[in-house]
Amino acid sequence: MLEFDFSPLVESWRFLALGLSVTLGLSAAVIVSSTVLGVLVGVGRVYGPRWLRLALTFYVDSMRAVPVLVVLIWTFFAFPLAFGVTLPPLAAAFAALTVHVGSYVSEIVRGGIESVRAGQMRAALALGMTTSQAIRQVILPQAAIRMLPPYASIVTMTIKETAVSAVIAVPEFMRSSEVVSSQSLRPLEVYTVALVVYFLLMFPVARGVDRIYRRLAHLGRS
Amino acid sequence: MTDAANSGRVGADRPPVILYEEVVKRYGGFVALNGVSARVHQGEVVCLIGPSGSGKSTLLRCTNALEAIEGGRIVFEGQTLPTPALAAPVRRRMGMVFQNFELFPHKSALENVAIGPRTVLGTAKAEAEEKAQALLVKVGLADKAASYPSELSGGQQQRVAIARALAMEPEVMLFDEPTSALDPETVGEVLNVMKRLAEEGMTMIVVTHEMTFARRVGSWVVVFDKGRVVEEGVPKQVFEQPREQRTRDFFSHLSWSG
Ligand SMILES: Nc1ncnc2c1ncn2[C@@H]1O[C@H](COP(=O)(O)OP(=O)(O)O)[C@@H](O)[C@H]1O
Ligand SMILES: [Mg+2]
Repeated sequence: MLEFDFSPLVESWRFLALGLSVTLGLSAAVIVSSTVLGVLVGVGRVYGPRWLRLALTFYVDSMRAVPVLVVLIWTFFAFPLAFGVTLPPLAAAFAALTVHVGSYVSEIVRGGIESVRAGQMRAALALGMTTSQAIRQVILPQAAIRMLPPYASIVTMTIKETAVSAVIAVPEFMRSSEVVSSQSLRPLEVYTVALVVYFLLMFPVARGVDRIYRRLAHLGRS
Repeated sequence: MTDAANSGRVGADRPPVILYEEVVKRYGGFVALNGVSARVHQGEVVCLIGPSGSGKSTLLRCTNALEAIEGGRIVFEGQTLPTPALAAPVRRRMGMVFQNFELFPHKSALENVAIGPRTVLGTAKAEAEEKAQALLVKVGLADKAASYPSELSGGQQQRVAIARALAMEPEVMLFDEPTSALDPETVGEVLNVMKRLAEEGMTMIVVTHEMTFARRVGSWVVVFDKGRVVEEGVPKQVFEQPREQRTRDFFSHLSWSG
């Protein structure tokens, strides 16, 4: 019969809470930066000149082909060797996750843009808008609404993916859990709590976006 | 086109607002416009009729340089049309109305009408919306300002789309089958708005299958087939004494012969 002992967790709660706050902060930063990157790459792939589209397609395809763990480890260990600049673990994790998640966001943005009927662009141009005005005023707002459901998956994926940065010792929640687990020799309890915490974090994100989407869906239907 | 052929045309005493000279448009190897020559004068309502696929929509999209042409030229108010990439300043002087309305679904009716002046001319919000409200009154939709396109009937959406185009105070209005996607009971409300616009002297090019509209409101009818102008003339002549066999063929296909 297993005996649960949660006391090591109770004793280390401050340490774990700190880890959780790093997870949340890193997640938020990566979501913002990868969204900016993803919108630029997505728009560039649809409207950019041919050379840019080819370059961006190569970026997106390679990011999707490589595990995020490999990108992270390469950024932390190989990048300094190649360029002579050492990144602190948190910065390396931020950069690697942004580049990785950004490629996924860009695919969603591209799909959202391409799903807006060509007549919408024509209608905007016919009013005398420039292409960039039409993209900002007419195409992207509709694409954004259509993108919400897959974007919610990206947000939850990002929060989960920050856990890989434990391997380069970023003091986020997964790393703190590892530390508490190895010091207390109570991995079952520690990782059970970690599991529940991640779940409690994700669940409202997914549900919340879903509700927002259902309220806005009609605004994205042309 | 001889001057005699244009006699009796509205505004024919002045240079045309739009002049098409041997316009050629290709999609890959397919020739959509095969040397189109025509003219539109100030205050005319030119109705473009002809079989589906004959190039009518293509001609409209070339008229405001949404598409480039491969041959010939289009002259608007004395200036040859620029390429599509440089055409924004010209497009703001022409209004366009689409078969599928193409209202912006994330904007209310009022915002749809105000967005052109707001974005393109930088008009202040209050001023643009005041003008937009006046245009909604004009098309009979004063009470729908706050409605979103998804809450409006087809006829209402098309009237908002007309108001949206008018907000830019265009010199010419281009209509591409504005009533083809409508339920029969809402066709009339849109045609009435267009008729009033014509009576106010708006220069209009109207692609339509509404022969009654072309006959009663049109001042000049151009018959299209296979990317060419087959015949043109005042409605009475084209409808009652068509000169060309292909025009008669087109009319005979229109009438139901079950
Ligand atoms: N973007 C396009 N690419 C290829 N072919 C096109 C395109 N637009 C129109 N066409 C072709 O050009 C011809 C004329 O089309 P269109 O101008 O829409 O005719 P209409 O409006 O008279 O029905 C049609 O055969 C159509 O298939
Ligand atoms: Mg057409």
